[in-house]
Amino acid sequence: MIGWMRSFVALLHDTWLEFIDAKSLWLVLLTIAVLFGVALTIHGEPLAAGRTYLDLAARSLSADTNDLDPAEVSLHTIATRLDGSISWIQSAEPIGPVMQPADGQPQDGPKTSWRVTLVRNTLPVVGKMADTNSIAARFGRVADGELWRVHAIRETTAPLAARLGSQRWEMVVNPGRDLTILWPHRLTLFGDALELTPPQGAPLGLEVFILQKLLATGLGGTALLLVSVVITAGFVPTMIRKGTLELLLARPVHRWQLILGKFIAALLFVAGMLGLLVGATWVVTGIVSGLWAPGILLAVVSLLLFYGLLLSVSIFAGTLTRSAPAAMLIAVAYWAVLFVVGILHAQVVASRVREDLTGRPRPLTVADALRGRSDPRAPLEPQKRPFHRTAAGRIVEATYRVLPHSSDLDAMVDRQLMRGFSVGGRMRQVLESGEFSWLGGMGLTVAHATAFLAAACVIFGSRDP
Amino acid sequence: MVDPVEVEAVVKRYGTAVALAGVTLRVGRGEIFGLLGQNGAGKTTLVKILLGMVAPTAGTARLLGIPVGTPSARRAVGYLPEDHRLPEYHTAASLLDCYGGLQGLPRSWRRQRAAELIEMIGLGQAHRLKVRNFSKGMKQRLGLAQALLHRPDVLFLDEPTDGVDPIGRKQIRDLLLAERARGVTIFINSHLLGEVEQLCDRVAILRKGKVVRSGSVVELTHRQHTWLVGFDRPVPDSSTWASAHLDPPDRNGISRVHLADEAALDLFLAEATGRGFAIRHLQKERGTLEDLYLQCATVPIGPHVASSVRCG
Repeated sequence: MIGWMRSFVALLHDTWLEFIDAKSLWLVLLTIAVLFGVALTIHGEPLAAGRTYLDLAARSLSADTNDLDPAEVSLHTIATRLDGSISWIQSAEPIGPVMQPADGQPQDGPKTSWRVTLVRNTLPVVGKMADTNSIAARFGRVADGELWRVHAIRETTAPLAARLGSQRWEMVVNPGRDLTILWPHRLTLFGDALELTPPQGAPLGLEVFILQKLLATGLGGTALLLVSVVITAGFVPTMIRKGTLELLLARPVHRWQLILGKFIAALLFVAGMLGLLVGATWVVTGIVSGLWAPGILLAVVSLLLFYGLLLSVSIFAGTLTRSAPAAMLIAVAYWAVLFVVGILHAQVVASRVREDLTGRPRPLTVADALRGRSDPRAPLEPQKRPFHRTAAGRIVEATYRVLPHSSDLDAMVDRQLMRGFSVGGRMRQVLESGEFSWLGGMGLTVAHATAFLAAACVIFGSRDP
Repeated sequence: MVDPVEVEAVVKRYGTAVALAGVTLRVGRGEIFGLLGQNGAGKTTLVKILLGMVAPTAGTARLLGIPVGTPSARRAVGYLPEDHRLPEYHTAASLLDCYGGLQGLPRSWRRQRAAELIEMIGLGQAHRLKVRNFSKGMKQRLGLAQALLHRPDVLFLDEPTDGVDPIGRKQIRDLLLAERARGVTIFINSHLLGEVEQLCDRVAILRKGKVVRSGSVVELTHRQHTWLVGFDRPVPDSSTWASAHLDPPDRNGISRVHLADEAALDLFLAEATGRGFAIRHLQKERGTLEDLYLQCATVPIGPHVASSVRCG
């Protein structure tokens, strides 16, 4: 057992030296460092939006909007949830802390508390008067998110107004848990040189979500995976080339130990790199935005699983061909196949969804209404040849079923990111319960990697050097 | 006591090609054994079978009494392959450390041993240099060091002095003789017959997968009743001697003397004195491995090679 451990540590040491010997590794690490340096110059500036979000909270008192997805929900659905009242903010005054930009008026931000006067008018017959406790509990709760929290409340309804169904409250409200991530921010790069957001800004949570995806799994992750595959694809061919292999085979180790040792060692080093990349993403976006939701850290697992798969493919190919370029090309080609099959499969799913929707009425949604549409959309025309019913579509679906799903690995991370950077609501439920499958994401990946490694061990073990 | 290397009727076929056609040999403890043969004679195949890298088609082989092919049979064995390629990203010390780890040696022990070996093979000055910047001779010496690293009981060396300068060759020879003195069994594959002759106690000549000749170097190169003689002045006519047959002298004035038996030497010396010649050089002639090797390489092989061929 001690002998095994020593052999393994020796292989680790050997692989480490081989890994850091690659010039391209340093180039990529430098590029990533520069990328993060640039990301650190991102400056986020909250825009004044307190009044907008107070208005939204007041209007939401009229209907229970929890569990609703604003993109999907129809006006009809909203109407069924109306409670026969209309509320609005009569006056609102920031009571600090307010932000003091260098060149301008003091301005409210996501940390500002407000003194608010809320008015609620109840319609005759259908509406009911509200009590102060329910207003205190419900004000600021929008679609499962907490925008505001009522700190103090006092009903100041005049007796005559009460008789007409009009109530009034004086409140002090503090920012709620989810206000910051929804607050519109203006992001700029290199000081103020480059605008990253439209003039009206974008919700901070969404911006951080996109930044983290870009740095950790998008640009950074893809570059690091690609370079790691390119570097480590040469490991096994170098180890088993004539003249080097004999030096190893004369040692008291089994051949499968050599293959497995290289695999684990490469995996550990790439895990370290990915840890650095993802950790840096988390820290940089945390510093820039003040949001420290840890969901992105799961990207280490998803990226490493995917890298392990590509590594085992390259080890298999390297054992078979004894050529580093061939091993690299085959691993990258395998990656490309997964990617293309993933895209085609998305077409199959889209085609099936479209068929389900064909002929059904499509009610006007809140999102439509916000875009200025007033009449319901026409039902979908039937597709001439639904993709999922063609032979090609069936082949795609069958192939997809047996191949690892890299999209599910992404979805695994996205779900965690969503938890950190969005309020609840129907959209998040869809995301969390939808197409994602642990089996497709992790099970098939691990199964494929194991199969390729086992095949490499068998081939390597049974061949004369 | 078991011999460290035992090979019993080993056959190796690659498809229809026969690499080894039934080889039997034994090498004793503390012996330096040379395996000679042309390219493709099967020397490397035999070593790879002993190291468990290639499975024999038939026959058995043991290292230190353990059947070959298992990690435990290789534990006390060092190997220097021909045309080895050491991983280029290592320094001498890191390479020895990694190989020592694979060998299962404790860390402090292998560090100390590596430092000692690096000094011994003269790479102490190059401790920061990576293998990719080594000369051929340096690589060869490092290759030898990795084979000696774990103080093996059996050493397999394929062309150990390949690419090494004469001084380095002498160092390597001395190193191997010191290992032999420790009781290490050394198995050398080589084309450099002079080298083998200087080092080996016993040799075998392999031809087309069969052992065609084997024995001690002294035995194989022994020539009966031939002496080399030099006189104080040129011999006018070398054909008229009664006690011996004298070849014409070479350019150094040395003549080969063919005697009927050992006792005839005294008669020859007396005749020389009688003829008024003073003897300045007298040496018993031995054949060289090269002569033997060339003879064996040119004798045609029939179906009963091992038993019928008698050369040298």
